[in-house]
Amino acid sequence: MMSAQFPILSALDALTGALFLLTAIGILATRQVLASLQLFIAQSLLLTLSAVLLGIALKSPHLFAVAAITICTKTVMIPWILRRTVSAEVYRTREIQRVLNIPSSLLIAAILIIIAHALMSPLVAAVKVPFAQINLPLGLAAMFLGTFTVVARREAVPQLLGLLALENGVFFAGVAIVPSLPVIAELAAAVDVPVVVLVIGLLTRQIRQVVGMTAVGLLASLREE
Amino acid sequence: MALGIFHNLLQLVFIISVAPLVEGVTSRLKENLQSKRGPSIFQPYRDLWKLLRKDEIVSDRSSWIFRATPYVCFAAPIFVALLIPVLTAYPLFFAFMGDMLGGGFILALGGFFATLAAVDTANPYGPMGASRTRMVGFLAEPVFIVVFLTVSFVAGSTIPYIVQQRWVTPLSNFFEPSHVLLLIAFLMLILAEDGRIPVDSPSGLFELAMIDRSKSLEYSGRGAALMRWAGAMKFLVLICIFVNVLVTPWGLAKGTSSLDVLLAAPLVLLKILGFVLVLVYIESSLAKLRLFRITEFLGAALVISIVAMITNLSAI
Amino acid sequence: MELTAVLIIPPFASALSLSPFGRHLAAPITFVSAISLFLLALSVAATVAQTGHIEALHGTLACDGLGALVLMLVALVATTAALFSWGYIRIRSLEEGPRKEQRYYGLYNLFVASLVAVPILANVALMWVAVELTTLFSAFLVAFENTPAALEAAWKYVMLTTLGAVLALLGFLMLYWGTRIAGSETFTWVSLVDAAPHVPPALLWPAFLLILVGFGTKVGLVPMHTWLPDAHSQAPASICALLSGVETMTVLYVILRLFPVVGGAPALDARPWFVGFGLLSVAVASLLLVYARDFKRMFAFSTVEHMGIILVAAGLGGTEAHLAAAYQMTGHAIAKSFCFFAAGVIATRFRTQQIESVRGLLLAAPASALALAAGAFAIAGAPPFAIFVSEFLIFKAGIASGQYLVTGLLAFFVAIAFCAVMFHVNRMTFSQPPSDEPIPAAPLSCALAIAFAAIPLVLFGIYIPGPLRNLLRAAAAAMGG
Repeated sequence: MMSAQFPILSALDALTGALFLLTAIGILATRQVLASLQLFIAQSLLLTLSAVLLGIALKSPHLFAVAAITICTKTVMIPWILRRTVSAEVYRTREIQRVLNIPSSLLIAAILIIIAHALMSPLVAAVKVPFAQINLPLGLAAMFLGTFTVVARREAVPQLLGLLALENGVFFAGVAIVPSLPVIAELAAAVDVPVVVLVIGLLTRQIRQVVGMTAVGLLASLREE
Repeated sequence: MALGIFHNLLQLVFIISVAPLVEGVTSRLKENLQSKRGPSIFQPYRDLWKLLRKDEIVSDRSSWIFRATPYVCFAAPIFVALLIPVLTAYPLFFAFMGDMLGGGFILALGGFFATLAAVDTANPYGPMGASRTRMVGFLAEPVFIVVFLTVSFVAGSTIPYIVQQRWVTPLSNFFEPSHVLLLIAFLMLILAEDGRIPVDSPSGLFELAMIDRSKSLEYSGRGAALMRWAGAMKFLVLICIFVNVLVTPWGLAKGTSSLDVLLAAPLVLLKILGFVLVLVYIESSLAKLRLFRITEFLGAALVISIVAMITNLSAI
Repeated sequence: MELTAVLIIPPFASALSLSPFGRHLAAPITFVSAISLFLLALSVAATVAQTGHIEALHGTLACDGLGALVLMLVALVATTAALFSWGYIRIRSLEEGPRKEQRYYGLYNLFVASLVAVPILANVALMWVAVELTTLFSAFLVAFENTPAALEAAWKYVMLTTLGAVLALLGFLMLYWGTRIAGSETFTWVSLVDAAPHVPPALLWPAFLLILVGFGTKVGLVPMHTWLPDAHSQAPASICALLSGVETMTVLYVILRLFPVVGGAPALDARPWFVGFGLLSVAVASLLLVYARDFKRMFAFSTVEHMGIILVAAGLGGTEAHLAAAYQMTGHAIAKSFCFFAAGVIATRFRTQQIESVRGLLLAAPASALALAAGAFAIAGAPPFAIFVSEFLIFKAGIASGQYLVTGLLAFFVAIAFCAVMFHVNRMTFSQPPSDEPIPAAPLSCALAIAFAAIPLVLFGIYIPGPLRNLLRAAAAAMGG
């Protein structure tokens, strides 16, 4: 299982990946909004760790830059933006009624993880890149879990965190396959994330002011009836 | 061969005698963590001694199951103790009598009799606790099976001794993601099976909220002593499986002389102490879950074990 | 040179609108910037129609036939929508005052800036960022009315389209990986097409699917279309015109660019996927059109239908079909924006968006009736408008290439959609007015905008000027690969 070239780094990367996936499952399953945010911060830290490990292995300064950008934007800036735009009361709420109860969501999450691994195995077999075997399937699995979180949760902030978890998954897969994206593109993609969070945070605030709650999953007035 | 049997019996004596000590240490450490003084660590021995000398009162409406259960429950962990590595790193005489699934079945047999005995009494809390235990057990079974499946698949065998050799022979295998995830899943399982927080409160006295303890409410005298001892032994057996098979074989005797085996005992006790510290920390920081939230807890354990299995399978 | 100006003018106008200088002049500033944008786009299109290619800033900005066509359409609709907003937004923000108008125009210009950036940026990763920015800048424009329904629409819009864009990001990262494997250093559309034969198919195929599904969410393909009727009906009419008319088309442009890339790899065939998604979208949209209750939602469903038709045309393959697809894109952009202008005027005058509540248009508001009828005829595909010609060309190309089943299904669903739109507009126009009280008049700028937009609407069905014909051919060539 371990890549022949980098046994220890590969093992640590695999461990990081497994914990990364656990945080993605956690964001899907926790009831408390604040816990979702803390899990997201943990997930971003794990992404940074993976980027650093790959940077050491592949000797690529770009990956260290990606790690630095991730730490700044995702662990520091985004929680700060969210705290400022969405009031503290939202963080004390819990989702009491869910679209799908937690054990069923967890089972569907397990099925999604299996599907992601199955989808990525022909690709990983075809193109042999170190670490892609670990990062690609886990990144795609985190993407599927993030999509399912956006669909399955009712509260606004966990939906947003599902979206951000999806992006984390993309970058987790990305650091293995594109160790040297042009700097401009990296910076642009990095700047994009806080802007998304800012927009969504302000929108959440507006929703709370006008509608009175942030359970956006319950807003369903626009229909064909 | 005789030496092998002797060491196996030594293992047995170790389990029987150390089990109340582990329970005593756990409750004392928990109290210490809450800045209280706590009972002496030898208190469970005194409790057992007291109970053994007391009269036993048995309802004449109950059947043979009620009378037989304390002995069955006491015997079950003993048989399992013959199969798992407790003091030695190499298989002993009875080691191939049953594998991990067999050990799981034997423990389940003990639990089955305890549940039946609880229903046998006319105490209203007995059947309630029994049905709740069945619910928790029903949810915990898939986790057990997936954990054992993954472990056996990786090691190529279901005998605990062989599994233990393979798991941590190169040290990097310790950090394998499937290993770490299995540890987490099995820890959640121990919490569920043994009635620890967050599933059940071991020191609670409120019968309406009991899951595990209400099964032994009706016993008195010798029966109560055996049930308590059996509970402590089951706990110790699960800890031994966790610590010696899944985590690391460090501290187990490699040599075949009796001295090596005896010297392994304090080292194993040290490992168990480490686990108890972790357990006490978890118990003190979480709150007991509402009954129907236990499904979520065990569902999470199931998903973690499935993820462990997938990350293992996909990498091969 | 023109490309650089195209990129710089809208953000500058936005900054100007938001500054104190723009307190009462935000609308004229925006209109002037839009007109200059349109003139620049025309010049770019003329250059490309002649030479086939244009570049600026050492290749950072580049445009070929398809890009120039999209740029021109974006600029056109931006101009007419800016004129329309002049009066429309003034009415809508009477209570809150000029601050709300300034915010609108500031966001409007940024939205237009991101829209024009998509066809002209050469680096594919930067283009993805531009597509993301179109969502972000239009989020608060969709929520402009500040009602719970508008906020719900804006939330679904932002969530689902950003979700799709992030899925597509992985697809683009995989494409970049593929070009690196094939040995290319840059990441532009041209280098993608060149590298495509050397990229392993196991890599190209998942990337293609991810981008198709991810950006397909933003285009409004079924089954990812659920946000589109909400967002495109709750936004103010000028923004609806931009969203329906050009934003979906701009993202469809990105998907169409993938067609020659996948076509370069001999083992893969993208055409069944294009045809499949396209037909599904047309089918579901035409059925939903029958059930429409709100006329702005009706036009939004029609957008889904037309995006499906363009995708089917691209999937049919061949120069004829691609030329028809380019023509359909042009006709749709012009007609859809016109429809939304008419719908916006009617919604303002009658204060409702429900089809049942609007009656007797012909007698009560003849000019609006004429506009609505003309727009509906144009978008449904009746002669003598452009969409009729382009749909006819698509059917002809389909039959000529022997794909009878696809063409038959497409014709069937297009016919259903035609009947549905005609039925609804009929009910609104030719019936008794509900009461005799006078309906308030539309703002002057709205009427002017409709009049201006009517010119290309009527013209391009009958006569296509030579340069435009060359441009369409160049666009078809870029699609065909």
